[in-house]
This record gives sequence, C-alpha cells and structure tokens, in this order.
Amino acid sequence: MALRRNVFTYGVAIPFAIVLAFPFVWMFITSLKPEAQVYDPTKTWRFHPTLTSYGYLFHHTDYVRWLENSFFVGLLVVLITLVVALPAGYALARLAGGVGRSLGVGIFLTYLVPPTLLFLPLSRVVAQYLHLSDRLWSLIVVYPSFTIPFAIWLLMGFFKTIPQELEDAALVDGCSRIGSLLRVVFPISIPGILTVVIFTFSLVINEFVYAITFISSASNRTLPVGVPTDLIRGDLFNWPGIMGAILIPSIPLALIYNAFLNRFIAGFTGGAFR
Amino acid sequence: MSGDEKTLSRRDLLKQGAAGAAALGAAGAGAPFAFAGPMKFKNKQLKGDLSIIQWVHFVPAYDDWFDNTWCKQWGEKNDVQVKVEHINNTLLDTRAAAEVAAQQGHDLFMNLHPMAAYEDQVINHASIVKEIESKVGKYSQLGKLSTYNPKTKKYFAVSDNYVPDPVIWRRDLWNGIGEAPYTWDHVRKAAPKLKGIGHPIGIGQSQELDSNMALLAFMMCFGSFVQNEHNAPILNTKKTVNAVKFMADIYNRGETADIFGWNPASNNNFLYSGQASMILNAISATRTPEDQHLPFADDLAIWPIPIGPHGRFGLEHVMGCYNIWKFAQNKDAASQFVVDLCVNYKDATNASKLYNFPSFPGAYPFKQIRKTAAADTHKPRGKYTVLTTIAEKFTHNIGFPGTYNAAMDEVFTKYLIPAMFAQVSQGKLSAADSVKATNSQVKDIYRKWKAAGKI
Amino acid sequence: MAAARGSRRGRLRYVAERRGFLAALLISPAVLFIAALVGIPFGLAIYLAFTNAGAGSLTGKWVGLANFRRILHDPIFRGSLWHTAEMTLISQAIVIVCAGLIAHALVHKFRGRWFLRFLILLPWAAPISLTVIGFLWFYDPQASIWNWFLIKLHIVDPFNKPNWLGTPRAAMASIITVQAWRTIPFATVIFLAGISSIPQEVDDASAIDGATGIKKFWYVSLPLQLPIALVAILFGIIFTATDMVVPYILTNGGPFNSTQMITTYSFATGINAGNIGEGAAISLFLLPVLAIVAIGMLVFARRAEVT
Repeated sequence: MALRRNVFTYGVAIPFAIVLAFPFVWMFITSLKPEAQVYDPTKTWRFHPTLTSYGYLFHHTDYVRWLENSFFVGLLVVLITLVVALPAGYALARLAGGVGRSLGVGIFLTYLVPPTLLFLPLSRVVAQYLHLSDRLWSLIVVYPSFTIPFAIWLLMGFFKTIPQELEDAALVDGCSRIGSLLRVVFPISIPGILTVVIFTFSLVINEFVYAITFISSASNRTLPVGVPTDLIRGDLFNWPGIMGAILIPSIPLALIYNAFLNRFIAGFTGGAFR
Repeated sequence: MSGDEKTLSRRDLLKQGAAGAAALGAAGAGAPFAFAGPMKFKNKQLKGDLSIIQWVHFVPAYDDWFDNTWCKQWGEKNDVQVKVEHINNTLLDTRAAAEVAAQQGHDLFMNLHPMAAYEDQVINHASIVKEIESKVGKYSQLGKLSTYNPKTKKYFAVSDNYVPDPVIWRRDLWNGIGEAPYTWDHVRKAAPKLKGIGHPIGIGQSQELDSNMALLAFMMCFGSFVQNEHNAPILNTKKTVNAVKFMADIYNRGETADIFGWNPASNNNFLYSGQASMILNAISATRTPEDQHLPFADDLAIWPIPIGPHGRFGLEHVMGCYNIWKFAQNKDAASQFVVDLCVNYKDATNASKLYNFPSFPGAYPFKQIRKTAAADTHKPRGKYTVLTTIAEKFTHNIGFPGTYNAAMDEVFTKYLIPAMFAQVSQGKLSAADSVKATNSQVKDIYRKWKAAGKI
Repeated sequence: MAAARGSRRGRLRYVAERRGFLAALLISPAVLFIAALVGIPFGLAIYLAFTNAGAGSLTGKWVGLANFRRILHDPIFRGSLWHTAEMTLISQAIVIVCAGLIAHALVHKFRGRWFLRFLILLPWAAPISLTVIGFLWFYDPQASIWNWFLIKLHIVDPFNKPNWLGTPRAAMASIITVQAWRTIPFATVIFLAGISSIPQEVDDASAIDGATGIKKFWYVSLPLQLPIALVAILFGIIFTATDMVVPYILTNGGPFNSTQMITTYSFATGINAGNIGEGAAISLFLLPVLAIVAIGMLVFARRAEVT
C-alpha cells in the first residue's frame, strides 16, 4: 500500500517538477552566458560563465528601483484588498443569504472584462478625476479592482469552513456580532488571510497593461514594464540580462509561497477543528 | 524670472518639494511628475517644463547625446526644464492611445511611424515645418509625403529623421558561389546555392515591422503598390500576384521556415549567428557585429535593395516623427524644440552613428554625410557611404506613390502584407486568391477611413 | 434584548446586530470599489463599441451596430473567436488533468516534498509578462533549447527544425503550452486545498467500506472536491481567455493571424490601428461567452455541493 503510494507520488511529482522548472534552469544558464555567445550553437552548454549580465542589471539599469516599486505597490494593494475583502467575504458567507449567493456569482463577472479594453477609460479616470498620472498610487488604487473579487471568493470559502457554533458561542458569551468577528473569526482565518496575500501579490506582480499605461517615468516603473523597456533596445534583446531579471524575484517569491502553502491548506481543513 | 517675491518663494517651495520627493526614494509617491534625473541647473530657475517621450534608441550613444547634451543645452538656452522619457518602441502606440484617452500626456510625442490615425488629436504642425524650411531648406519629399494629409491640408506630424533600409549581405558567402544581390533575379538564382551551403536568405514574412518593410519595398520593385498617388487602393494587380509568387519561389528555394515566426530582432539574430547570407535591415545589423567583434563583421556588405522589374524602390526602415497633442501643456516650447532639433540635425546624425538621417536634408547635406561615412574605419573602408546614395535615390515613404495616411497605417499595423505573402509561401493559398482576399480587406479599411473624411 | 434599551448607544448596537444592515455595511466598500473602477469604464467601453471612436478618443459618432457587423464579416475576427476557444479549452483541460495528478501526489508528506513543491510553484510565482519573454528565447528559431533536446534525441532532423512560433499548428501549441505551464501551479494549490478539506471521517468511512484507490477517487474524493475544483477551473478559464500578454508577446497573432485571439485582435484594432470603436466591439464578444460559462459552472457547482 505504502509502496504503491510512493510510486505514484514520486512518479508524478518528480517528472512534473522537472518539466515545470526546466525553463528556469535554462534561464539561469542563459543568464550566465556572455552576450556574444548566446547564439553560438557550439556554446550551448559549454561556455565561460560570467556575472556580467547581473552586473549590468544592478548598475546600469533601474532594476532595483523597479523591484522596489513592484513590491511597494504589491504590499499596499494587499493591504487594501484585505481591508475591503475581509468584511465583504464574511458578509457574503454568513450574513447575506440568498442575496449573498447571487453577489458571489457577480464577483466572477468582473473578471470578464479584460484590461485590454478597460485601460483606456481608466486612463481618463486616473488622469482627470484622480490626478494620479505617473504615480505609483494610480496602480495602488486601480489594482484592487481585480484583486478584491478574487479575494472575496477565497475568503468566502474560508469563512464557510468555520463552524457557526464558534461564533454563536461568542455571541452567547455577550460579544456583539462585530466583536465576535474581531475576536473569534478573524484570528482563525489567518491561513485564509495569508492565502489572500499570496494570490493578491501574484496578481499584482503579473500585471502589465495598466502599469505601462499609467506610469511614465523610468524611476516609477514596475518590474514588468522596466524589463522590456531597458533590456530590449529596438530590435536587440539582452537575453542574459532578461533571464537574470526574471529569476531574481521569482525564486524568493516561490520560496515564500511554498512556506505559506502549508498554512493555506491547514486553513481549508478547518485548522484544529477536525 | 526674478523679482517677483511671490513667484520666487513658490519656486523655493517647489524646489524643496522636489528635494523632499527625491528623499522619499523608491516610493515616488510624492512627486507629481517624477523627474528622470536630478535638476539640471541648481543655480538657474527655469521657467517652463517640456516633457518628451520617445523610443529607446538602439544606439545607446544617441540617447546619451540626446538626454545629456542636446536637451541639457537646449533647456539652458531656452529656459525650459526638459524631461525625456524613453520606452520600448513597441509600447509607444499603447501609450499614445492612453494619453489621448486621458487627454493628458507628454508635450512632445515621438513614434517610429507617423501616427496618421491621431490626426484629430494633434495640432497642425505646418508652422513648425515652415520655420525649419526657412532655416535649412525644404522638407524632403519623403518627410512631406509621410506627414502631410492632402485632403485636410494638415501636417499631422513632423519627421526629424528617417533610417535608410539597405540590404545587408555576406560578401564572402555570395562571392564564394560567384553571385551578388544585384537584382531580385540574381537573388532568386543564388538562393538555392546559398541554402545548399547552409546559409539561407532571411527575409521575414512575419507579423512584425521588418517583414512589413521588406515586403512592401519588394512589392514596389515589382510595380505593385497598396495605393496610388490619389490614395486609392490598387492592390489587386497582376504585378502584385507576380511579386507574391516570386517571393514564394525565393522562400521555397532558399529560405527556411524560421521566417514565419520572427519578431523585429530575429533577422538580426539570424545574421549574428553567422547563418544568414542576406537580410534587409537598418545598419543596426552591421554595427552590432562590429561592436561584438563577430568573426564575419568585415564580410558584411551594405547595398541598396536589389532591382526588380519595375526598378529599385526602397522604403525607410523607420521614421522618427514628433507630434504635439492639442492638449499639450507647453506647445510653444515643444514647437521650438522640434525646430531647433531639425535645424541642428547634423549632431544627431553623427551621435546615432549614421543611423538617423535628417528629414530636412539641408541640415546635413548628403555630401557631408558621405564624407563622415567615408571616415568610418570599419572594413571595408567606405562601406557606409552607400547609405547616402540609398537615402538620396532609393528611399520612399510608406504609401508611395501616395501619401501616408490612416488607412495605410491600419494596413501596416495589421500586418496584412506579410500575411498575404506568408499564406502563399506556406502553400495555404494560391497567389491570386491571397492577393484577392487581402485586397478586399484593404478596400474595407480604405472605405472606412474615406467615410471618416480622412482620405 | 438590545431593543429594550432606550439609549442611543443601544439603538445603534441594535442596528449593528441586524444581519442585513451589517452585511450591507461590510460589503459596500467592495461594491463601491468595483463599481467605480470596473463598472464605469466597462459602461464606457460598451458605449464605445457603438461609436466610431478612433485613435484614443473616448467619444465618437453613434454608428449603431456597424462595428459589430463589420467585424462579423472580418475573417480574422472569426478566426480569433475560434483560436481563443481552442487555446482556452485545450490548455485548461491539460491543467485539470495535470493539477489533479500533482495535487494528489503532494497531499501526503514525503521526503523531498518541500523542494519538489518549490519547483512546481515556480511558474506561478514568476511574473508572466516576463516569463513569456523568456519563452520567446526558449522557442527561438535559432537557439531553442527545446529543439536542441529534440535533435539530440533524434526525434527531429537538424535541417528541418520545427519552428515553434512560425508555423500555425506549432505556434498554437506553443501558446497552449505556456498557458498550461503557468496555470498548473495555481490550479494545483487550489485542488490541494480541496483535497485537504475532505474530513478525516470520510477517509475512514471509505476505508471501512473497502473503497480504495481509483474507486475511492471516483466515488468519494472527486464529488467532494468538485465545488472547489470547479471554481479553480473557472478562474483558469477566465484568466486564460482574457489574457493578452502570452499570445501578444509570443506570436503577436501570427503567423498570418493563425494565433490571433480576441484580446490581441481587439488590441491591434483599437490601439495599433487607432480604431477604438471596433476594438471595443471585438472585446465585448468575450463577455457573453464567459458569462454563460461562469454561470453554468457555478450552478453546477452548487448542485454538486456536499455539505
């Protein structure tokens, strides 16, 4: 029994891990190549590795700035998303009944409008009504529009797994409804909150269309915009630099997501209440 | 400038604010329009602001000159704080649309193709053209036909430069088989031999800029045009069908299937890998091998486009155009900037290592450019002088013999021409059918813009 | 109880106790946000589809259904409908199968699980707009490492290398691959949550009943995981169908429009060619289709819900 499970486990996990991660391995190798040898078919695997491209990234481009900007925007958007989505998720899961269910469906509908279309009217909103052109705050204000719906859905799921008895017990003990929210429900949903953090952050760091539209100055660019701009000059791609630029944020992010994953899963299993 | 107490203290506040914003660091949350660099003049108060957006030039030296020498000196002279933003050229269209939608953006917007579709959003640049002409002589035909709308009698952009599009070929390989790309017939004959020695030709048929340019120019050499001199579509002709068949022939004999999946960098990379025996590209494709000391850098020859049955017709590879939005904040400074840049274009051309040619040729006469090119030390010496011949005689505007307009722009940006060729080369459609189908799409587009009163 | 108190504070607390009011209060920030930043621009976009707005302008002359009529005649547009469906359905089918397998493999602790999980999460952790540029390199006609492997394994002739971005079938396959690649970790994580949410009692009960392995999966696990799995699939479909970055960067709709998607064509028409009204009309075609899919799946999910 255990052997069968192990065969299945390793037989599935290892090949998939190799296939999914191989592009990154190749990116890493390319990032170590000197630019002139990138196209040399005789130097595919055997070449003199060099850190020049990383040096270029850090010293001749605003790469560090873009990383900072992306993380800054990401963290603030996560905060806003949590503040808005937590109460909404709770309300839809517990309080709203039938209306809540329909609203829950409505959440998905907001994703049906792709940014390929929305960015134009939004650029007018950002420029004329919010006066946030070329400021990172424009992104911080706009991004929650697509992170909040997803966060609400996630949190709805979490709150549904928290037994009603817990809250009722708190109410019986004299807590107001809001009090029970704050003192009982939210602490238990830490795993859910962490999950929202991961998913929201990943949505933010992937976003490209709004970032290119609302931000002008080089120093305000986020990562997805800065890389194609500075590492692709007209028709020349700086492949080693680009590969390095991709790897630097991806590896830490994957490590962090991995670390949070257990708690996320624990949340869905209802924590200590199994 | 000085004197007014109130103004001075407001400027002081602004300066402090700017310093404070800089101190905030990466957040950029404080500065309303974060400047790309430190204030250029600590001692002098500058009256106005000028914001410019343009592409990241493939020649870093040009951007260096533009940002740090030209704009700095111009700003000093005209009491204007110039702020330049560079973005990847593929993103310029998106940004233009966003700025128009927002009715707010840069004072001076540069793109690599004249933005004919935005005619209603920009000022009439006639006064700028006139002023430049009064100082250095006439606007080139190429420039005028690219940026002027004869229907509305409006200059919807001003071109400061264009880039000649030569053919770049490996002299060693071609001479080895006893050939040279003098005419397209020569190319067709040499193609199988070159492919046979492992060095195919590389003329793209993909949905990207280089393919568009190469194929449109190729068509013209065969007497096939998208529109006539009255800007009416005339694509479906026997000559077009012949051109498509001819290119399919070249593909089948001497090219590989690579050419259908290219981006603008691909034909360059094909050349840099040592494989390609011929590509059509600007001289970025020869400068990089020189810079990277590739073994065949000295074997790369530069020639005008081969001759076809109709003659030798080339296009510009890209054309730098500036336009000024109607909602720009500092139109005066923007206009003056363009005037001064075009008048002094000699420095720009040299800074770009002869990539940019002035659209107002009086600023840097061909004879002088030729002299500079002759001084280029790369081997074989004098190889860049042919650029002036190409620029003078064999470079036409997109939309030749008509003018560049919104309909032509749409045909161009939708890559209808590369699709027309590729379908036939890949055997999906016969030449006649492909041309017919493309023609109906082209006519549709022209109908639409004619209804809008733009052609 | 609180109603008995006459004080103002008491009345306030009473109001806060009422479910409906509290619910509305808690939901309103979210609704306001979405209405302002999604609803208004969306309404504007619908308006634009009925005008001949051009070149970034947000106003235009009303032309009724002319834009829609024109694009329905456009062979490229009709192709884009088909390609979008193809890309979405095939890539998500792959995602479901792979994510399902991986999730089951990763459920129980084993040596090396942390490391393997890290590798599996990488495609999702990396910003897609950058990794897709990385795939441009991966599929480069000259230097594709994928071709290198195929040649070394003698599957492919070195003089006849497949051009992954240059021939229609191969280009579509490449796009599908990238979409699947980046979605698998996302779906795996959600499936994992679904599996883990099955209470232990169910596990024990099925063991007692003698249901193991595939039988257990089909009759017990699958139905219990279905609600969560369905929503993960739904998000996968929506994120893929509305995605522009992957097809735009990999092929830009080529070769000759054989991988043109609704999103890329809408962008090319509206932004590059300066025809906003038409671009908006194209984009709107995504909406009814996705709405039907979404509602259909959610209804199915609710019916399949096991409490």
